[in-house]
Amino acid sequence: MRIKFKLNGKEVTKEVEVHKRAIDFLRDDLKITSIKEGCGEGECGACTIIVNGKTVHSCLMLAVELDGKEIITLEGVEDSIKMAFVKAGAIQCGFCTPGFIISTKYLLDNNPTPSEEEIRDALEGNLCRCTGYIKIIEAVKIAAKGCENND
Amino acid sequence: MIKNYYSPSTLDELLKIKNNTNGVVFSGGTDLFVKMRYGIIKPQTVIDTKKIKSAIKLENRKLIIPLNTTYTDLLEFLKKNKTNLFLEKIIKLIGSPMIRNRGTPIGNIANASPAGDFILATYLLNGNIIIKPTNRIIPIENFILGPSKIDLAQNEIIYAIEIDVKNNYKFFFEKVGKRNAMIISIASIAVLLKENNGKIEDISICFGSVSPTILRDKNIESKIIGEEFSIELFKYLANEFEKLSKPINDVRASKSERKKLVYNLTIKAFYNLKNEVVSI
Repeated sequence: MRIKFKLNGKEVTKEVEVHKRAIDFLRDDLKITSIKEGCGEGECGACTIIVNGKTVHSCLMLAVELDGKEIITLEGVEDSIKMAFVKAGAIQCGFCTPGFIISTKYLLDNNPTPSEEEIRDALEGNLCRCTGYIKIIEAVKIAAKGCENND
Repeated sequence: MIKNYYSPSTLDELLKIKNNTNGVVFSGGTDLFVKMRYGIIKPQTVIDTKKIKSAIKLENRKLIIPLNTTYTDLLEFLKKNKTNLFLEKIIKLIGSPMIRNRGTPIGNIANASPAGDFILATYLLNGNIIIKPTNRIIPIENFILGPSKIDLAQNEIIYAIEIDVKNNYKFFFEKVGKRNAMIISIASIAVLLKENNGKIEDISICFGSVSPTILRDKNIESKIIGEEFSIELFKYLANEFEKLSKPINDVRASKSERKKLVYNLTIKAFYNLKNEVVSI
């Protein structure tokens, strides 16, 4: 089936088999390897992408469902959020980081000045197996400050 | 392996495809793709309903939640319309933000899990299931036949859930689990209470994960109308519900732990409701 969608602002048209999951299509066919497969069942959040402004698990959807949608992956996230993770040292093995950054973008797009509790709620679907949560929460606070300054 | 993918844009088209292919209908897919991964189901044909336009409605003191409504959509609607806001406590403990952005209350009901959090909410609010094309409207307790068993024919689909609009009630909800996000409850309780001068005017009590379906007993509820809202009454209820519950041993908890939880959660409900301020 031929699908057409926007990936990080760019139009993509591609042929895809109907049984293929979005994560496999994005990683294998389009080489967007920032999307990680942790659990493959929606528990860990490493495969999170933004579809039409909402975070979803790319392991729990078909590639054909991307048709007509606007997709944002790590590559389409503003540098200020990524730099906040670097500044806070919120990256250990790095496997969960793209998912956390996508969840952070979704939070800050909808709530630029979150409280710590709101940050924790927003990240509850992402697991860090290195358990570096304190620094990740710190990173989101730095990113939120960055948003404030930009305003 | 999926061989055919359909994404109809009208209900008529959906029903026709369903009838002709007997494909698996899905919207968010948050359960479907997990089941497929484990080989529990192996559909050749899937029918994606997301292109069918639908909108939540408030009609005659009922809230009508149609297909494709996600938990996120529902929560936004409740906040915007300032109704049934207590449901936020249940919805916020379903899955994670990503699951709530894709998952739907209808999908939760179609799965008929004894732990289904939105099934609990639907029992609590005297929910009806609206089925197409037959236009059958069935009370939730008759629709759910047992774990993973529902009263739905091959050519039918769940079109909407209809629940009561209830405002100015006291509400208590607790879900016992090991983590905040992604928890499938070990046991859960939800109570909606309206008091009048310290007496019970209206009450609805439901338990999840302690029986093959949600545990609710309308006879007990109607018996205690007019009774004083007291710890003695809730001790009586705790005993009754502990007796009525039929939990199983599983990986999450033992049968006896669940029985104990039914008792303790009922007592906890009393103390929380006592201090609860009535909210919309």
